[in-house]
Amino acid sequence: MNLRVFFFTILVAAQIAVPLHMIQQRESVLRDGELFRFKTEPIDPVDPFQGRYVWLRIEEDYAPLSALETEGIAYNATGYATLGTDAEGFAHFTAWTHEKPTETSSFLRTTALGPEKRWEEREDGTRQAAHQGLSIRIPFTRFYMDEAKAPRAEIRAREAARNKDCWVAVRILNGKAVIEDVIAEGQSLRDLASIKK
Amino acid sequence: MRNKSDSFMRKIPAKHQKWLIQELPILEDEGILTAESRNRLERYYLNKVTTRGHWATIALGVLGALLIGGGIILLFAHNWENLSRSGRAILSFCPLMLAAALSALAIRRGGTSLRESAGIFHSLAVGACIALIGQTYHLPSNTPAFLLTWALLLMPLIFLLPSNGAYLFYIVLICCWSGAAQDQYGQALGFWLLLIPALIYVIQQIRTNYQSGLLALWGLMLMLPIALGMVLERTIPGLWIIAYASFLSLAGLLGMRHFPTAYGWSNPLRTIGLNGVTALAYICTWQEIWYDIGWGYTRVNFTHQESGLWIDPALTAGLATAWAFVAAKTLRRDCLPTLVLCAFPLCVCAGFLLAAYGESAWINALLFNAFVLALGLAHLAQGCKTAQLRQVNYGMAVLSLLLITRFFDSEFGFLTRGLAFIFMGSFFLATNLIIARKKRQLESSPS
Repeated sequence: MNLRVFFFTILVAAQIAVPLHMIQQRESVLRDGELFRFKTEPIDPVDPFQGRYVWLRIEEDYAPLSALETEGIAYNATGYATLGTDAEGFAHFTAWTHEKPTETSSFLRTTALGPEKRWEEREDGTRQAAHQGLSIRIPFTRFYMDEAKAPRAEIRAREAARNKDCWVAVRILNGKAVIEDVIAEGQSLRDLASIKK
Repeated sequence: MRNKSDSFMRKIPAKHQKWLIQELPILEDEGILTAESRNRLERYYLNKVTTRGHWATIALGVLGALLIGGGIILLFAHNWENLSRSGRAILSFCPLMLAAALSALAIRRGGTSLRESAGIFHSLAVGACIALIGQTYHLPSNTPAFLLTWALLLMPLIFLLPSNGAYLFYIVLICCWSGAAQDQYGQALGFWLLLIPALIYVIQQIRTNYQSGLLALWGLMLMLPIALGMVLERTIPGLWIIAYASFLSLAGLLGMRHFPTAYGWSNPLRTIGLNGVTALAYICTWQEIWYDIGWGYTRVNFTHQESGLWIDPALTAGLATAWAFVAAKTLRRDCLPTLVLCAFPLCVCAGFLLAAYGESAWINALLFNAFVLALGLAHLAQGCKTAQLRQVNYGMAVLSLLLITRFFDSEFGFLTRGLAFIFMGSFFLATNLIIARKKRQLESSPS
């Protein structure tokens, strides 16, 4: 009986330690990570376990690699994407490597999703798919919200996204990313969704 | 720890034990029992027989734990925005702490109802805690990682309590993990490692008490065919047919070898094995199954990984070797189910080779139509011979399934179909009547 109690105590300690480690990792990213702003367009789905959230479609979700470089990277391969900011202060990915960057701590550990192509208009008015780079899996696409506010938040944020006035503030540190807030029309999406129109 | 001699104790309902103990002095006064016999019976029923908890108490306990656990998850899923991040993180641990206290109580007290309720509540609390931390920190969805962490943190609990509820949770989690991992990583080989604790638990339960281990065995036998389909890469098309044939036949043979007197619900290995073989044989009667299979049609992409070129054959060879080993030890010429389970994987192998190298799908379809027809007729004939209505009906069900399908498959007129249906129905009814009469005669005969 004593041995069983001993192992049970170890098990409960492990069951507490794993979520605690998750918390500690995210808190350190929020405390020490560099802040980046990504342009986004939110959509509102539901997770049966975690509740209602706003799904964030990040506009710049690719690293600018040539078609040849992209072909050499296998689907779902793990790598590191480095970041930069444009003149307006919005973040974008600058490169992709298989090796962990050593010169900066502001990089994202993620997986490759194949070539990213977008429709571009030609001079003659026709449209063609142009290669943009390597599409990458974005690990900050869920912003959990109150079940009543999430649908309202989606509508308000979509209006803001149309006016290019919606972004997600993300802290990034050593490959990990944690969402700080989603900003639409200049204020937090949570506050915006509280206002009943 | 449970006393080892418990395994040899019979379990009876508490009210039956109480009634018998009250009856003994009356039987002694009436002169039916001697004082010595009465004392021996009393000692036996008080010391050697354990009383069984009522199933309704266990079921209500399990249902209560499920509802409370589910309710807590929904309450947290509401997302209490007014609480601070740290407040919500601390709150996420509350169900886990409550569940740990309940499990500790169950380990001390040891009642079946409490153990099962604690097992289920604790299983839910572990998953809820991880999910709620994910909600608080807006973590992205990583289903395989979430399911794997949940399963690993839950696994020791099934042995420590022990609880069938926690075990069933575990096997559902590893089955779901195999599907999610196959989808996200392209392979789910780790499933076989995760299966080991489940196998150990089932063997332990069956050895301790066969009846209470049955639920665990049923869970395993229902989960394994689903997981096998997910884990196979299918890089080499059609190899799954041999893998399934070997697995199902192996299960059936193990059931017949280790539990020869158990049938139906009491023998999940035999039931799933025999019914699975019949279902697979029926699937093989369709010509489409045999198109484009074999090494000539090998496909390599993200959903069919290159590693499947050696994983699938190795897995299939492992299952086939285990089947051959058990078949060699179990084969009995006078037992129809054994013969079927020993012959089926051989027929499937022959079919696979024929289709892979000979491109003759129609020959295979014909071969398996004949196999299913022979299977149905053999069950029917043996059922009639031994006056076993269950076997007769099984044979007739197999025959009707085959005949009806082939009937709709071909272009027959309404008149022909109608007459054939009436003929089949009359034949089945007449056979049932004859067998029922024969059985009654056998039961009423003095010998």
